[in-house]
Amino acid sequence: MSAPAPLLTLEAVTKRFGGLTAVREVSLQVQPGDLLGIIGPNGAGKTTLFHMISGYYPPDEGRVTFDGRDITGQPAHAVSRLGLTRTFQIVKPFGNLSVLDNVMIGALTRRSSTRAARTDAERVIDICDLGRHAAARARALPLALRKRLEVARALATQPRLLLLDEVMAGLNPTELIAMVALIRRLHANGLTLIVIEHIMAAMMRLAQRIVMLHHGEKIAEGTPREITSDRRVIDAYLGEEFVLADA
Amino acid sequence: MITRALAHRRGALLLFGVAALIPVFVRDAYFLDSLVLILLWGALSAAWNVAGGYAGQVSIGHAAFFGIGAYSAALLGTRFQQSPWLGMLVGVALSLVAGGAIGYLSNRLKGPYFALSTIAFSQVLLIVASRWRAFTSGSEGIPVPFRPGFASLGLGHVAWVYLALAVAVLYWGVQVWLEHSRFGYRLAGVREDEDAAQALGIPARRLKVIAVMTSAALTSVCGTLWAQYIGFVDPFYVFSVDLSVRFALNAIIGGMGTALGPFLGSILITSLETYLRATLSGVQSGFTGIYLIVYGTVLILVVRFFPDGLAGLAARLRARWARAHA
Repeated sequence: MSAPAPLLTLEAVTKRFGGLTAVREVSLQVQPGDLLGIIGPNGAGKTTLFHMISGYYPPDEGRVTFDGRDITGQPAHAVSRLGLTRTFQIVKPFGNLSVLDNVMIGALTRRSSTRAARTDAERVIDICDLGRHAAARARALPLALRKRLEVARALATQPRLLLLDEVMAGLNPTELIAMVALIRRLHANGLTLIVIEHIMAAMMRLAQRIVMLHHGEKIAEGTPREITSDRRVIDAYLGEEFVLADA
Repeated sequence: MITRALAHRRGALLLFGVAALIPVFVRDAYFLDSLVLILLWGALSAAWNVAGGYAGQVSIGHAAFFGIGAYSAALLGTRFQQSPWLGMLVGVALSLVAGGAIGYLSNRLKGPYFALSTIAFSQVLLIVASRWRAFTSGSEGIPVPFRPGFASLGLGHVAWVYLALAVAVLYWGVQVWLEHSRFGYRLAGVREDEDAAQALGIPARRLKVIAVMTSAALTSVCGTLWAQYIGFVDPFYVFSVDLSVRFALNAIIGGMGTALGPFLGSILITSLETYLRATLSGVQSGFTGIYLIVYGTVLILVVRFFPDGLAGLAARLRARWARAHA
């Protein structure tokens, strides 16, 4: 499983908030082209892990390496410039700006002219199927479109590793299928992704590998099939019904 | 964004064009004086708008930079016989340092906390200026001597109109640039959501500091001009919270984060104030503060009915007109 040059490596990263250890000694590797899923109950430390990878919280212990470079404790904007971009579970659109302007601001990270950034943004908006809403104010969009805007804006920075934090939560089945298709398309085009998601059915179809967090610790890692038959995962997260329903 | 700016450009053309033509036809000193003040207050609100409107750094302490500009030129002029233009440069340098310091120190503060820290800063300068008698003449203030000539900024009313107009157009241009440039787009991202901006690779804190420094420098230039125009620097006026509020309110009433808004706000408020002062000056002193009541009423009406200011109202009327004639 271990290829010579992983894109992202976490070595025993730990984050404490006062007496609470939100993430404890989590290690993992992501190879170029991977689509890694992270699952776990609420409060398992999934988003905290994203915060540490993307530079929002410095880890108390451990090391984060991206593309051979130690990025532990680097500020978020610097991490993003290196090609590691994330989305937010609670979407953070630039509410008073249009969809196009939102995505342009992402594109301007790689572009020095607004004209080039606009061209980039229009392409990304097409990929994300937001074309009909390009002129709409971000604030006025329904949740499903704001989630897609979140992805579009991050994509516009041309990341090499994209962290998606629950971009499917709150979507109806049709919207869910569209989002799964979008993520698959991005992955097929060579993008490396880490995806946090609660919706196991979607995760089973998407992820090549899944990491399970529980009380801040990594308790399992494997293919979707391995994960769903893991006793600890069933006890902590899935429950017996899932196993029965799946069988 | 482009269409909005173009629409603004027509409005700006009209507004600044009329201002440029007025001195050709009108020689009334009182009227020209009002025009200079409208342009200067508009430029000051535009300077405030760079931080408050475009970067979302709402300051109620911008009088600090105004005062720095006013004092720099007045002190250099009276104590060292230097040209006010040099004083203006010194004021800009000091304001850049002060703006950088306050921008950096209050970087993590948001909303009201940032506003409070800016008030505190301007109050500190007020205390220094009003107590340091040996250097600033303390609370007596500094009369700025009138020396005719461009180098000493001893100008007639018509020249002042064109100087203020040049500054106004320049500041308007700075704002238009903020609506179209890479820096401006990214700054808008920081204003809308700092965390999201950082996730997109934008060094949010640095951009905010740059915006506050720019705003401070532009404010300081107008502080120098104002002191030379009025001819007197009073610490309790130039560092007052009233003045800081005026910069902010003109921009809010006119339309925050729009290039023309601060000038529209200034036209409304300055002319209203001048008119009320003139008509009520003969009445007993009980009425001297009445313009503040009018001020407050206008603010409430604007915030309640046109939350995006006069510029927003103009845009809506234009859209309605376009629909009706489509």
